[in-house]
Amino acid sequence: MSNIPEGAMDYIGMRTSEEFACEPVEPGAVRRYAQAIMDEAPIFAPDAGTDNRFGGPVAPPLFPQAMFRRAYGDPDPVQENAYNEDFDGSSGNRTLALPEIRQFRGFGVLNGGSEIEFYRYARYGERVKVTSFYEDIVEKQSSKGPIILIYIVSDYFTADDELLLRIRRISIRRPLK
Amino acid sequence: MTIQSRPVCFEDVAVGDEIPPLDKGPFTTAHIMRWSAAMENWHKIHYDRDFAVNHDKLPGLLVNGSLKQQFYFEHLRKWIGDTGWVWKVTFRFRAMNLIGEKLTMWGRVTGKRECPDYGIVELDLGIVNEEGTESSPGTGTVALPYRGGDPVPYPFVPPA
Repeated sequence: MSNIPEGAMDYIGMRTSEEFACEPVEPGAVRRYAQAIMDEAPIFAPDAGTDNRFGGPVAPPLFPQAMFRRAYGDPDPVQENAYNEDFDGSSGNRTLALPEIRQFRGFGVLNGGSEIEFYRYARYGERVKVTSFYEDIVEKQSSKGPIILIYIVSDYFTADDELLLRIRRISIRRPLK
Repeated sequence: MTIQSRPVCFEDVAVGDEIPPLDKGPFTTAHIMRWSAAMENWHKIHYDRDFAVNHDKLPGLLVNGSLKQQFYFEHLRKWIGDTGWVWKVTFRFRAMNLIGEKLTMWGRVTGKRECPDYGIVELDLGIVNEEGTESSPGTGTVALPYRGGDPVPYPFVPPA
């Protein structure tokens, strides 16, 4: 018997249009990010010269994926779920510009890994956009029981359509019973 | 680990070489909250022990996979320097890492091939805790300049 909920497979192939991050690459956000990953490299600092080969200060390689935040005025899932004991604190797939697969609400969520191709740093002040699609949904058996793997591919571009990076994510859903 | 005093060139690398390790942690809830705030990701399994253990049936608070994946790029960049390019990284999160663990990134060269403008080097990568348990096996692909040659083109152009 499949543990994949009815209707979930309908999401495979669903693709977003281009969506811009609500803010450009901000120096303060880069500083907090670099400090959080404990990689305060000179190329990420605001005083990195524009004469370096990257054209000025840049954000860490995977920073673009953190840029797709809840925009000002958007619904607040934290407050909406303040009385929901099952709310896990995550905000669906907002960061990928894809709709949440509602059939997996109530499942445990884990990060299964990724395949990343990196082509260019995002520079301070640049705008970033993303397109994503659900590539596949597969059930597997783990040592702790059945798990469901959701494969999601996202391409991050500058506003001028320069490819920054491509990420193929594996998001795990675990039945919690 | 310190940044190389000179950039690593394709000719410097041999299959079987171990690259310098990179240590991270030990991880505290403060590290995790700082990362959650930077990402604006409020997933409770990283900071709400009651939710993680009693609701999601996890063994404790988890170090974010999204944080660990950053370390692959730092590890490889610090090894090759800014004249090379970290092109590909793949990884699977096979085991959980919990608050309190200290993690070490490791890497081993598994292959190399010459391309017209640079050389490509393949590696096995991973993350082990202090007990030596591998949690995140993966692979990496970097482009390195030839000795005496130009830096790897930027933005990176993959080989044909």
